Amino acid sequence: MTELRLEGVSKQYGTDAGGTTALAGIDLTVRDGEFFTLVGPSGCGKTTTLRTIAGFEEPTDGTVSFDGTPMTGVAPEKRDVGVVFQSYGLFPHMTVAENVGYGLRFRDPPEGTTVDERVAALLELVDLERMGERNPDQLSGGQQQRVALARALAPEPDLLLLDEPMSALDARLRESLRRQLTQIQSTLGVTTVYITHDQQEALAISDRVAVMSNGRIEQVATPQEIYREPSTRFVAEFVGENNVFDGTVRTRDGDRAHVDVDGTTFELAGPSLPADGQQTSFCVRPTALTRGVEQNQLSVTLETCEFRGEHVRAYGRWNGTAVVLQLDTVPEGEAVSVGFEPAAAHVVTSQ
Amino acid sequence: MRRRTFVSTIGSGAALGLAGCLTQDGDSDDTDDGTLTVVTYESMVDGENPAGPWLKEAFEAEYPDAELEWELLPDQGISHYIGEAERDISIEADVYLGLNIDDLVRIDDNLDEGGLFRELDHDRIERASRIRDGLDMGDPHGRVLAYDTGYISLVYDESEVDEPETFDALTEPEYEDALLAQNAQSSDPGQAFLLWTIDAFGEDGYLDYWQALEENGVRVLEDWTESYYGAYMNEERPMVVSYSTDQVFASAEGNDLTRHQIAFPNDQGYANPEGMGIFEDATSVDLAYEFLDFVLTNDAQAEIAQRNVQFPAVEDEYVDLDDEFDQYAHVPPEAVTVGYDELQGNLDGWVDDWAREFASQ
Amino acid sequence: MSLGDRIAADRGRLSALLERHVLWLTALLMAGVLGVMLYVPVGVVFGNAVLEDGVPTLSHVADVLTDPFYFGAVADVFADPLAIGTHLGSLAAWLGAVSITLSLEYPLPGVDLPVPWLALETPGVRKGLFGFTAYQAALSTVASVALGLPAAYILANYEFHGRRTLRSLTILPFVLPGIMVAVGFYAMFGQTGTLNTLLGTVGLGPFAFIETNPLAIVILAHAFYNAPLVARLTVAAWESVDVRTVETARSLGASKRRAFRDVVVPQLAPAVLTGALLTFIFTFMTFPIVLALGGLQLATVEVWIYDRIQRLDYTEAATLAILETILSLGLTYAYLRYESAQAGFSQAASRPTRESLVPDLRTTLSPRRLAIFTYGLVALVVFVGPMASLVVGSFTDGSGVTLRNYAFLLERQLEGESFQTLPLPAIRNSLVFGVATLVIAVPMGVVLSVLTVRAGRSGTVIDTLAMLPLAVSGVVFGIGLLQGLVFGISLPGGWRLQMTGAVAIVVAHAVAAYPFVTRNVSPMLANLDPAMVESARALGASRFRALVDVELPLVVNGIVAGAAFAFAISIGEFSSTVILASGSESYTMPVAVERYLGRRSGPAIAMGTLLLAVTAASFVVIDRVGGRADR
Repeated sequence: MTELRLEGVSKQYGTDAGGTTALAGIDLTVRDGEFFTLVGPSGCGKTTTLRTIAGFEEPTDGTVSFDGTPMTGVAPEKRDVGVVFQSYGLFPHMTVAENVGYGLRFRDPPEGTTVDERVAALLELVDLERMGERNPDQLSGGQQQRVALARALAPEPDLLLLDEPMSALDARLRESLRRQLTQIQSTLGVTTVYITHDQQEALAISDRVAVMSNGRIEQVATPQEIYREPSTRFVAEFVGENNVFDGTVRTRDGDRAHVDVDGTTFELAGPSLPADGQQTSFCVRPTALTRGVEQNQLSVTLETCEFRGEHVRAYGRWNGTAVVLQLDTVPEGEAVSVGFEPAAAHVVTSQ
Repeated sequence: MRRRTFVSTIGSGAALGLAGCLTQDGDSDDTDDGTLTVVTYESMVDGENPAGPWLKEAFEAEYPDAELEWELLPDQGISHYIGEAERDISIEADVYLGLNIDDLVRIDDNLDEGGLFRELDHDRIERASRIRDGLDMGDPHGRVLAYDTGYISLVYDESEVDEPETFDALTEPEYEDALLAQNAQSSDPGQAFLLWTIDAFGEDGYLDYWQALEENGVRVLEDWTESYYGAYMNEERPMVVSYSTDQVFASAEGNDLTRHQIAFPNDQGYANPEGMGIFEDATSVDLAYEFLDFVLTNDAQAEIAQRNVQFPAVEDEYVDLDDEFDQYAHVPPEAVTVGYDELQGNLDGWVDDWAREFASQ
Repeated sequence: MSLGDRIAADRGRLSALLERHVLWLTALLMAGVLGVMLYVPVGVVFGNAVLEDGVPTLSHVADVLTDPFYFGAVADVFADPLAIGTHLGSLAAWLGAVSITLSLEYPLPGVDLPVPWLALETPGVRKGLFGFTAYQAALSTVASVALGLPAAYILANYEFHGRRTLRSLTILPFVLPGIMVAVGFYAMFGQTGTLNTLLGTVGLGPFAFIETNPLAIVILAHAFYNAPLVARLTVAAWESVDVRTVETARSLGASKRRAFRDVVVPQLAPAVLTGALLTFIFTFMTFPIVLALGGLQLATVEVWIYDRIQRLDYTEAATLAILETILSLGLTYAYLRYESAQAGFSQAASRPTRESLVPDLRTTLSPRRLAIFTYGLVALVVFVGPMASLVVGSFTDGSGVTLRNYAFLLERQLEGESFQTLPLPAIRNSLVFGVATLVIAVPMGVVLSVLTVRAGRSGTVIDTLAMLPLAVSGVVFGIGLLQGLVFGISLPGGWRLQMTGAVAIVVAHAVAAYPFVTRNVSPMLANLDPAMVESARALGASRFRALVDVELPLVVNGIVAGAAFAFAISIGEFSSTVILASGSESYTMPVAVERYLGRRSGPAIAMGTLLLAVTAASFVVIDRVGGRADR
C-alpha cells in the first residue's frame, strides 16, 4: 500500500497577474492505509487537490509523491489510483459488469483470479451480485455509487480517491453507504482520500481530517481534535456550530487568563493561553454555553429557537454578537442567562 | 510521352500525407515527337456530337505519323495560361482552339505585349487567305486566325411580341419586361451583347441606353443556360439574347419555331469569331501549322460548322454546308464586332461601369 | 533479456508511445494538411489584399470600406469615423423621414381580397453590396429555419411509412450543382413549369412566380439548399432530447406547451443555431444561384469576387474575400462562445417515442395533423418539385417523351474517346472520392472536437480558426488551389511542388468537409460527463483509449451525421474539383454535368438526374448501415 505526500503543492490558473490561485502551497502526508478526508467549503481547493493527486492537473509548483516516488509528469493512467467522482462517471453504453471490469483491460487482476472472478468478487463486495448484466441507468443512485466504487477498486489501486461520492444521495442512504464504505476500506486497507464539504460526514468516517480554506490547509488532525481543539477561527466556525468571541487579555497567570470582551471580563483556563495585553479570540461550543453555570455569565437576547428532539437550539445576541446555545427546553421570556466553565473555552488564532 | 520527370509521388508527399509531384525546370524534352497537344473548350470534345473527335480522326488520317491529343481548357480559361506564363512554367500544349479577342486583350494587359502565342507566319498556312473579310480578329501581333464565328442576336416569340427593328425599340412600352440578357461579367453572349450596345451607342451613350433598358425591365441573368433553358424556355419572358443559329437546335429538338424567331436589331448581329493560335512554348511547331491549315479545309470547316453549330470562317466557295443548316442558321445583314484596339484598356472599365449600374442599388 | 524479447519490448514501448501521442500526431498531420491545402493557398490570395510590393498595407481594405458601392451608407462612417455629430445628424434625418401608414392591399395577385396593411415607409438607405448580401442572407436564414424546423419536428416525432428513407433523402438538395437547381426551379416555378401546369388542371393561373418577386425565389432556392441542413441538424438533437426532463417538467406542473418551451427548446437551440449560422454563412457567400434566378440586381459580394478573379484583379478580389471571411469567422466565434456556454445537457438516456402519423381517421383530421399535411404539401412543392421537374426534364424534349438524353450518356459510355468525359468513371470517381473523404475528414473532425471541446477560450479560438473552410469564399479557395497547388510552389533549385489529381481532390474535399463533422460531434462531446473520461484514465486507459472506448461510442450519432455531410460535400463539391481535376481523369459527377452542358441542356440534365439517383441510393445505404444507432 501507499503513503501519499504533497509538498508545497500550488496551482495557479492563468497568468501571474490576472490568474487565480487554486492551491497556495499544500503540505500533506497521508499515511499508508489511512482514511483521510479533505473538508472545506466549495471553492476551497479540495477538488483541485484531488485532481492533482490523480494526475488530471499538474501542480504549478511542488511535488506529489507516492511512497517517496515523485509523480511529476506521470499520466493519470500510470498512477494506479482509483477515483470515484461525484457524478460517478459510469459508462452508459456498458453493463455494470463491463464497467467494473474496464480497469482490468489495462491491469491484470490479482494473481490466481480471472477477470470475471474479480468482477464477481467486487460486485459481491458492494452487494450488487445480480446486477452485472444491467445497464447503469437501470440502477438507483446508491447502486450506481457502489458500481463506481467497485469499478475503482477492481484493479487494486494503490490509492483510492473519492470526490464527494455521496452528495447526490439522500441523507438516510448516505449514512448506510458511509458505513459500508468505511467497512470496505478497512477490510482492504487501501489508502483513501475522501473529499466532502459536509463536516459531519468528515468527522464521522475519517482517521484524520484536513480542513481547507482558500487554497490552504487550516488544520490536519483527528476528528476529535478538530472538533474539540480547532486551531483557527475558520476551523472553529466551519466544523460544528460555535461561538467565537474577540477580546483583549487583561491578566494572565499560568493556565488562567482574564479576557475583556466588550467590557465584560471572562475567565479562561487551559494550556498555551496568550500573554497580557494581547488581542485574542476564543470559542465556546453551544453545548458548553448553558444555564446553571455560575461562571462567565452572559445574558442572551433570543431571536429563534429550534426544537431538535433531544435538545433545543437557540439563536440570539449578546452585546450585538451572534450567539448559539443548546438548551434542554424552550426558554420562556425574551432573554436567557447562560455561562461557561473557564476550561470549556478554547483559544483560536484568527488566521 | 512524358515531358516531365516525375521524381517522386510518394517520397516527397508522404511527409505531408499527400501525393504530389516535384518537377524541375528544363526537364521538358523539347523534341518534336509527332504529338500535337491542342487545348480547346468543353463543347468541342464533350458536347453532343462534337467536332473534336472528327477533327482528331481526320487529321491523323491525313498525317499518319502524327497524333493529336485534346486537352480540355482549364476552368479559369485563358487566365490559367497567363498564370503559368507569369510563373515561367512551361506550357505543354501546342495549339489553342477557341481563342477570343478579349483573351488576347487580357494576355496583353497582364503579360508582355504580344505574349503567350506566336506571331503566325501566314506563308505556312496556305488556306489562311480563304478566311472571309471581317473575320480578321484585329490582333496587331498577328497571333490568331479565325476558324469559325457565331452571331449574337435576339431570339423572340412571335406570338407574344413583334420583331424589334432597332435597339431603341427595346426601351419602348411594347417590350416592357420582355428581354432576358446575361451578365457581361461572366457570360460570353452577355459580354457580346454589351459590346454590341457600346458599338451602337458609343462609350458615352451605352450606359444611358442600359438605364433605359433597366427602366423597361430587362433582366440580366448569370449565364446563357439559365436565361435560355431556364427562363426563356419556361416562358418567363418572350425575348432573350442568344445565337442566330437558334433554329438549328430548335428544329432538331422538335420545337415549334414560333418561339424561335431571330431578330437582328439595327439589322446587325454581333460577330464572335473564334480563333486558333500556337503557343510560344509549342514544341511541335511544324505540326501545329499543319493543323491550323487543316482546320481551314473544306471538310473541316463544314464539320465544325455543323457539329458545333457555328458559321464557317472561310468564304462560301470553300465550304459546302447542308441545306438544312443554311435554312435555319441566320446570318445578319451587317456583322459588327468591337476590335482589339478598342477593347484593350477599356473592356474591364466598360463592364464594371455597366455592372455597377445594376448591382447594389 | 534475449534479442527477441528486447525487440518485443521496444515494439511494445513504441506502440504505447504512439498510442499516447496519437491524438497529437493526428493534430499535427491535420495542421500539415490544412497548411498545404488551405492556409497556404488562401494565404497566397489574401496576401494580394494586404501586401503592396511586399510591404503590408491597409489602403486596399480602406478603399473598399469607404466605397458606397460596397458599404452603402455605412461607408461614410468608415470614411470619417470621428464625425459622430454628422453621422447622428443623418441618422436623425432618416428617422424623421420614416412614416407609418395603414392601407388596404391586395397581396394575392389576381385575387380580389383586400387585407389591411400596415406599411412602414422608410426612405431608402443605400445598403451597398455588403449590406444587400447580408440582407438576403438574413432573409434566407429565416426562410431556411422556418421551412426546416417543421420537417425536423415531423421526422423526430412521428412514425410513418418511409420516414427513414425520407430522412436519408433530405441530403439530396445538398449535392445538386447550382446550375441544376436553377434549371430545376425554372422547370418547377416557370410560367410553363410543373406547378403552373398542375394549377392549370384545376383552372388556376398561370402565375408569374419568378417574375413577380425574384428575391423571394432566390430566398426559396437558398431554403431549398439549407432548410434540409437545418432539419438534419435539428432532428439529430431532437432525437437526443431526454424525455425524462420533459416528464419532470410536466410533473412539476408545466403545461405541454410550457414544458416544450422550458425544456425541449433549450436542448434544440444549439442545433438550430448551428443550422442558422451555417445557412447565413453559406448564403452570404452564395454564388451563382442569385444571378441564375434573380438577376444582376441581386448581385452579392461573391459575384464581385468572381468577376475580379476573372479579370485577374486579385487585389480587390482578395480584399472583398477577406472582409467576407472576417464577418463569417466573427459570427462563428460568437456562436461557438454560446455553444460552449451551453454544454451540460445529459446524453439521452430515454429517447422520445414516435407517434404514428396516421393512426386513425379522427386523429388524421385533427388540426395538428392537418397542419402537418399542409406543411407536407409545401415541402412537396419547394423541395421535391424542382428535383422532380429536373428528372421529368431529362425524359422530355420539344416533341414529348424521349430517351435520347440517356441514349447520349449510354453512347458516350460505350463509344466515348479517352479524352472525353464518360458517365461511369464520373460516378465511380465521385463514390471513391466520397468514401476517401470520409476516411480523412471524420478523424480530422473528431480530433478537432476532442482537442477543443474542453479547452476553454483558447479552444474556442482554435475551433473558430478551424472553421475557416466554411468562411472562405469558394472562388478564392479555388484560385488559391490553382496558384498554390496546380501551378505549384516554387522550391530552391528550380524545383516546383505540384499537387493535382485524385489525391489532391480528396484532400481538398476533406478540408471542406471536416468542419461538418466537428460541428456535429462537438456539442455531443461537450455534453458528456468529463468524469467518464477521467474515470477511464484513472483505471489505466490512455487518452486515446478513453476516446475510443468511452467517448466515441457515445457520440456515434454525431459522427454518423457528420460523416453523411462529409460524403455529401464530397459528392457535390464543384469549384475546387474542377480545378484539381483538369488535365486528368479524376472528374466527378458535378464536373461531368458541367462538361455536358452545351447549347442543348438535355445531356447535362440527364447526368444531373444520374447524380441525384446515385446520391439517393448511397444515402439510403449509408443511413441503413451507419444508422444502426438510429432506431
